[in-house]
Amino acid sequence: MYKHNLYHNWVKILIYIAVIVLLLDINGFNVQSQQHTQSNPLVLEILSADKLSGTAGDYVNVKAQIKNTSQQPITDVTTYLSLVDTQNKLPVDLEDWSAEKGLYIGTIEPDQILPLNWKIHFVKAGTYSLIVVAIRAGSEIPQVSGTISFHVNPKHNLNPGQVLPVALGMPIMLILIFSIVFYKRQTKMRF
Amino acid sequence: MVTYLWLKEIRAQVYTWKGTLWLVITSLLFSFTSYLLLTDKELSLLDQTELLWLLSKVIISVAFLIVAIDSSSIINSEFEKETAESLFLSPISIKDFVFGKLLASLTLWFAIFMVATPYIVVTSLGTHLALPFLGYVLFLGTVGISGTVILFFGVSFLYRSAKNTLTTSLIVLLAFSVPALFSSALKNNGLAQMFGRINPLENIFACLDNVLVDYRLSLSENWRYLWPLFIFCVAAFVFLIFSLNKFQKQGVVKSV
Repeated sequence: MYKHNLYHNWVKILIYIAVIVLLLDINGFNVQSQQHTQSNPLVLEILSADKLSGTAGDYVNVKAQIKNTSQQPITDVTTYLSLVDTQNKLPVDLEDWSAEKGLYIGTIEPDQILPLNWKIHFVKAGTYSLIVVAIRAGSEIPQVSGTISFHVNPKHNLNPGQVLPVALGMPIMLILIFSIVFYKRQTKMRF
Repeated sequence: MVTYLWLKEIRAQVYTWKGTLWLVITSLLFSFTSYLLLTDKELSLLDQTELLWLLSKVIISVAFLIVAIDSSSIINSEFEKETAESLFLSPISIKDFVFGKLLASLTLWFAIFMVATPYIVVTSLGTHLALPFLGYVLFLGTVGISGTVILFFGVSFLYRSAKNTLTTSLIVLLAFSVPALFSSALKNNGLAQMFGRINPLENIFACLDNVLVDYRLSLSENWRYLWPLFIFCVAAFVFLIFSLNKFQKQGVVKSV
């Protein structure tokens, strides 16, 4: 009887402990996710995803937006583009692509949405991934948009139909003209 | 008399195949450049107008080089072949002599321009820039090359030696061309900017850049590049007058 009661108490104690641990864990998870939301209240979205493909040499506009989802104004935010050449697995130096530098936002009010625009020059053919990054002062974790993939087609100025006849024809024509002139002169001199 | 002198020089130039080979080589150079510019994978990424600007620089550079070499020897050859004395005994004024030689040198430039015209037209297709390209290359080339020829004629009358005149002319031409190799930082230097303002070659290149790349086609929009060219021509002319006065005082046979 005594053994049975002792066993019963131990089971109770274990159940209490399990319930307490479970409660603590749920609470901790909520605190963490609340902290995460609070640390990244900015939401970034690329709007011109379907218009980004083109040919090398084209200028395209990257349109995005940033939203402050918190109830507090956020200050000192810098947004910029990050581009990766997914074929060669290399980050791309956007200076070559004539992209403007980071866009600075002094203050973004609660629930305010601000447009972000960059003009970039497609320089090299390939497949690329683009994201918009926002960094705010005092935050250790940057906020990023979803990744957008796009393809840049190669540009071929090759127009042998136009340039080749001139490139080959002009020297040949000059050689022919001078040859005829000198041949006629020599023939005249002989007779 | 001017026409006689001009035709005499041109006939001498085209009398043998050696005298015309340079024109064939020039056309080969233009062929190579235009084909390369339009077909090279890396270069083809550039805007077409920038390719036109590169081609215009090649055309002007080649013309300056050929005309500089020709103008350095065209007057001195009369002294070195000892034909100058008999030439000046004939009823010919020094003005006619210089003008005839100037026309002969400019004819080489017009021959180069004629050869370059099909390349200019074919590379400009689709840009609506063919006529401004032709017009500005002809105008700037004629003004710049006239000034350069007059300058080298002045040197010729001072030196009376083809070798020395050619060396001086090539060094002057090199001095005109070197700023094109400068980086942007060096070009912003005060001294480099001052030299750039008076350098005819740099003004021609900058004007062509303004026309072909930035689409500023009117003369008023390019005036800041044109007036230094005219001043260069006037300065070269003043130098030629000074050399001619010295030459006329000394006579054909220079006293040592």
